[in-house]
Amino acid sequence: MTICIQKDLFNIEKIISNLRKNKPSIGAIVSFIGYVRDFNKDKNTKKLKHMNLEHYPGMTEKKLIKIELNAKSRWSLEDVFIIHRVGKLLPSDPIVAVVVASQHRKNAFEACEFIIDFLKTDAPFWKKEISDQDELWVENRLEDHQKIASWNIKE
Amino acid sequence: MKINILFFAGIREMFGIHEKCIEIKESKTSPEKLLKFLSEKEQGSWVELLNSKDSIRVAINQEISNWGDSLKDGDELAFFPPITGG
Repeated sequence: MTICIQKDLFNIEKIISNLRKNKPSIGAIVSFIGYVRDFNKDKNTKKLKHMNLEHYPGMTEKKLIKIELNAKSRWSLEDVFIIHRVGKLLPSDPIVAVVVASQHRKNAFEACEFIIDFLKTDAPFWKKEISDQDELWVENRLEDHQKIASWNIKE
Repeated sequence: MKINILFFAGIREMFGIHEKCIEIKESKTSPEKLLKFLSEKEQGSWVELLNSKDSIRVAINQEISNWGDSLKDGDELAFFPPITGG
């Protein structure tokens, strides 16, 4: 299992090929990649210039490991790779990737969704949107918390 | 006791600093008591932080905590807004 927080761009093909190396038991890989959208909430009036991503070093890694361990206790998985970028990101830049390997696809599909859902509510990252008009910290979404509740897991 | 306080995102901007180490006489406190104490003593951004308390999260030693949880000497206390990663 790998947790990675970095400023640099990541290469998803390389991540997947490294994950598969020497592991012929892997029968399925599911990956989620999140990108910076070129619009924000007020998409009719503002244009996003870039985004600044900040995190809480130390706590972020701890939380991601916990999410990963929770996923592994729920599904049989071969490997998990979570990578999240910080710093300045431009529209269309990839922000996050969750790659899950398992023997069969169902476990990988479900675990990947579970991990990104909890990453969004539990891992201490904050986004600031810098538009052509202002700079605003992104507010959390009720939908994300409702989605978490649907997993029916207690801390 | 010494407490190392960390600020993130909008709260970091509000204070203009990322980290502040404070020393108080009390041997027992909580994030809530400490925030009230600092807003009376130092005012400024602490008052602002206290006023927006309901929309702020606290973490003690990198674990999400409650306002009433106890703080001990050497703890790391973090104040931050709701999480928005991914």
